[in-house]
Amino acid sequence: MAGKTKPVIALTGATGFLGSHLMATMLAKGYSIIVFGRPAKNESLKERISRLLKWFGIGSFLDQVKCIDADFSQDNLGIENGEYSRLCSVVDSVIHCASDTSFSENKREKVMAANVNNLKGILEFSKNAHISFFHYISTAYVAGTGVSFCKEILSSAKSFTNVYEESKAAAENLISMFCQKNSITLSIIRPSIVYGDSQSGRSLKFNALYFPIRSAQSIRDIYLNDLSNNGGIKAAKNGIYIDNDGYLFLPLKIYLPYEGDLNIIPVDYFVNATIKIIENCSQGGIYHLTNNLPTTMKIVAKYYEQLMKVRGVEIIYGPQPDNLLRNPAEELFDRFIEPYRPYLSDNRVFDRTNTILATDNLNPPKFTYEIFKTCMEYAIKVNWGASIFA
Amino acid sequence: MQDIVNKSDDKKTPYEIARNCRHYAMCKIDFLGSGVCDSGPEKHFVSFYPQGRMILYEALAGNKISVTEKCIEIADSCNLCGKCDYQCYFLNEMRPTKVMEALKNHVQTYIKNGGKIKLSKDDFLLAEIKKIVGENWASNDEAITVTYSHDLSAISDPKVPDYVVMPNTKEEISSLVKLFNKNKITYTIRGNGQNLLGFAINEGAIIDLNRMKTIEFDEKNWLVKVRPGVTAFDLQKQAQKRGYRINASEPAALLCANIMCSGIMSTFSTTYGINADNFINAEFVDHSGSLFDLNEISSPNLYSYKNLEHKDSPGICVSASIRLHPVTDDEKGILVPFETLNNALDFIKDCSIRHIGLALGIVGAEYISTFLSPTKKMASEIKNIFVDKLNIPWLVVVIGDKYAIRSISEMGFPFFDQNLFKSLYLGLPSLKTAQWLDLVKELSDDEPYSYLKVKSFAELFETALSPSPRLYSQEVDKELSPFFEKLFSHQEMTDLVWLNMYRIMSTRLGRKKPFLPALIYLPIDKDLINDFTDKFRLIAEKHGIDNDFGFITPIDNGKRCIFEYDFFYDYNDPDEIQRIRQVAMESNMLIDDYSVKTGTVKGHPYVLYQGFCRKENLLYS
Repeated sequence: MAGKTKPVIALTGATGFLGSHLMATMLAKGYSIIVFGRPAKNESLKERISRLLKWFGIGSFLDQVKCIDADFSQDNLGIENGEYSRLCSVVDSVIHCASDTSFSENKREKVMAANVNNLKGILEFSKNAHISFFHYISTAYVAGTGVSFCKEILSSAKSFTNVYEESKAAAENLISMFCQKNSITLSIIRPSIVYGDSQSGRSLKFNALYFPIRSAQSIRDIYLNDLSNNGGIKAAKNGIYIDNDGYLFLPLKIYLPYEGDLNIIPVDYFVNATIKIIENCSQGGIYHLTNNLPTTMKIVAKYYEQLMKVRGVEIIYGPQPDNLLRNPAEELFDRFIEPYRPYLSDNRVFDRTNTILATDNLNPPKFTYEIFKTCMEYAIKVNWGASIFA
Repeated sequence: MQDIVNKSDDKKTPYEIARNCRHYAMCKIDFLGSGVCDSGPEKHFVSFYPQGRMILYEALAGNKISVTEKCIEIADSCNLCGKCDYQCYFLNEMRPTKVMEALKNHVQTYIKNGGKIKLSKDDFLLAEIKKIVGENWASNDEAITVTYSHDLSAISDPKVPDYVVMPNTKEEISSLVKLFNKNKITYTIRGNGQNLLGFAINEGAIIDLNRMKTIEFDEKNWLVKVRPGVTAFDLQKQAQKRGYRINASEPAALLCANIMCSGIMSTFSTTYGINADNFINAEFVDHSGSLFDLNEISSPNLYSYKNLEHKDSPGICVSASIRLHPVTDDEKGILVPFETLNNALDFIKDCSIRHIGLALGIVGAEYISTFLSPTKKMASEIKNIFVDKLNIPWLVVVIGDKYAIRSISEMGFPFFDQNLFKSLYLGLPSLKTAQWLDLVKELSDDEPYSYLKVKSFAELFETALSPSPRLYSQEVDKELSPFFEKLFSHQEMTDLVWLNMYRIMSTRLGRKKPFLPALIYLPIDKDLINDFTDKFRLIAEKHGIDNDFGFITPIDNGKRCIFEYDFFYDYNDPDEIQRIRQVAMESNMLIDDYSVKTGTVKGHPYVLYQGFCRKENLLYS
């Protein structure tokens, strides 16, 4: 693409975690972006985008963004006819990042509506705009359960860990058929679990990797408060104390079904790799943005202990014994991490052949203590997102 | 005007505090176990209770009356013990002692400055009244009469009666009625002035029934006969001592008056019923002064029901034989959270049909946070936490035995049990700063409130909140916190069963502003209830009146429910009074519309003076 005029990109999900990071870098690279999104309760879409760009330190780039209120469940995306036609005439490519990331079975209807049923509008727009490229941000986990080697091909799985994986697999197939029929080049980008920026630690979202750490920190703080202000009676009852090194000893046995990895990539890698794929791959394809040097929960637990000055965390691989007595912290922590458990000890290996070629062998960094510390310190600084825009 | 409502009592003048007396008569009952004003039970007139002194001071400071003989007696009878501060602060965050001091100062200064004491003279009628009730039990002294110029209904214009009379027997009442009839004097019966429609105030004579406090238990027939001066709180206390329970409304309400006006209703009405379900017999003095007994064949049929607004009263109820209910030692209270009103409605209907639970009631976040919080400020903070952090906009209160609680557990509903409730209640201040609440909300993503099913959540919850009477008491005025700390160390103050039996918290709903409830009997129909909720809100918003969902209690095996929606207003603001009157009128019109349209909706005004009717006649005719 070097030397050519940058294509006009229509981007969905620009107010989300991955979409916003992608938008920021693309704007810095000179792309013109049309954001399809929705206003929030008390904020217009433009105000939301403006706030995000300021957070990225590129508030002046707002002029490069056109914000379009769009409702993916409506015909013509709910956009007025004249404006819709005009947009069709200027957009060159679509990056579809918008997604409902809930794992909850209770939210099946909502997740399927957002991730599958509502594709119709953006696909019709792509057809009407005669775009050349459709880039779909999916997940590395569409291969379903029981698969040990995940290829960079469409998923034919019937069984999934949760409704999110299921919806993304269904969406990939639907988009693929549509693009084939309408001669649109499709690239499917499948990141594994994404955390913050590996250099600065900055992040807009604090779920996935962050959630177990945040849960453990909350439990730690509850007992620290008990020890400092209430004589530590409850802590003592559960064998929790401050040891001679000033560390909190908090027994936390975490059972994971089998030994396995935790595949995580930083958002800066996700953005750089995605842009390379968009710029380099004129033929389209499927790309796994995964880590060939995955970490493990044992390593993360050690990092957590070091950073939070805690001892007593034990990762145990294997089935949880029957009638096991759990302390309140363990019981609650188990409940906290339940939705993420399948990803915490994962034996899946991801094929990265297409990705290596498309990204000039760009690889995510190994997850070191320094990266962990930088990311978690930022998360704590912004109170796990609560005061991120304060 | 809004500034005065929001000002704390230490910044308010005594006059401002006095003008904000809610007239709930709660200072007439010992609901905190801290005692009541010493002079009240001795003199009986409301004038000798803090409520009366607040009204008296307001009248004196506002130059509405002069200093009279009784005025001096009333002021002198206050020993500034401070009990009223405990009670009134608990309910309304008000400190009446400042007013009591001001009243005493006002009178002393007046006398010191040579002010003329206004002497009241017995006219012919007062002399005749005194012949019936005795010298001490009737007065036309302005300091007495002015304290009867208000009742709970703050939207009615105050009226000062000519006489206040306190009979002690039904025969005295009969003689009084005959005397008033003969002399063409209007008379009005007053219990504790708990009427919401202003029917306890009038010109002419007020017959205050507060001396008639006899309670006679007839345990072999599961009955208790009460005279008309007995309050719900006092009777419940006596019944509980003997191992029984009665169905009781507001604690300061007098039972006979309560039945007379609209019938007894509470969350226990789910099983104990309403109206004629609550009594076996009653005695009356009719408008001619004759006595009649409800169970006599020749007596008026008060068990019938006519859909008439403001039906005439059948006379004066001078005793009622109230039903006693058995109590088991495994009764517990729980709070079942819900994300939507519709889900809560499904739940109470199901429980009611299946006869699960003794008492059931849906409350909104406004209600529950107001009940639990010791101050207005905290109530507002806690409401936000309930809605935004805990995702609990609705709660169902259930009182039941161990089988009922087990059934709810088996139905799959997570709930706050008694222990969790106690932790939540006494740990409320910690809740305000609890960072871990965000996680609890995320935990609910898969299954709402599933954290409540985690076996040891209660222990961690208790560890996190560090609940204690001391922590809770830190939120109140510093000099009152030792009292509150001691109070909240009493087991009953955090016992959901006790709190629902005695209902001492419900008055807190008027702490921010007095409220006017719209009460309706209707089927547990989600569309209908949502319609009412939306339309009540729109009416209130149109007139700029604060409003909120009150409660819903199922009755008669889930076939109907009682629904309360509340409108809040400042009764010292004439403009707001006008607007609340408009809201009341439009709300009643709305209820009338639905009544005609559905044939199943009954509005509360239509039950007035028909509280003795059979519930079947009220609900299904």
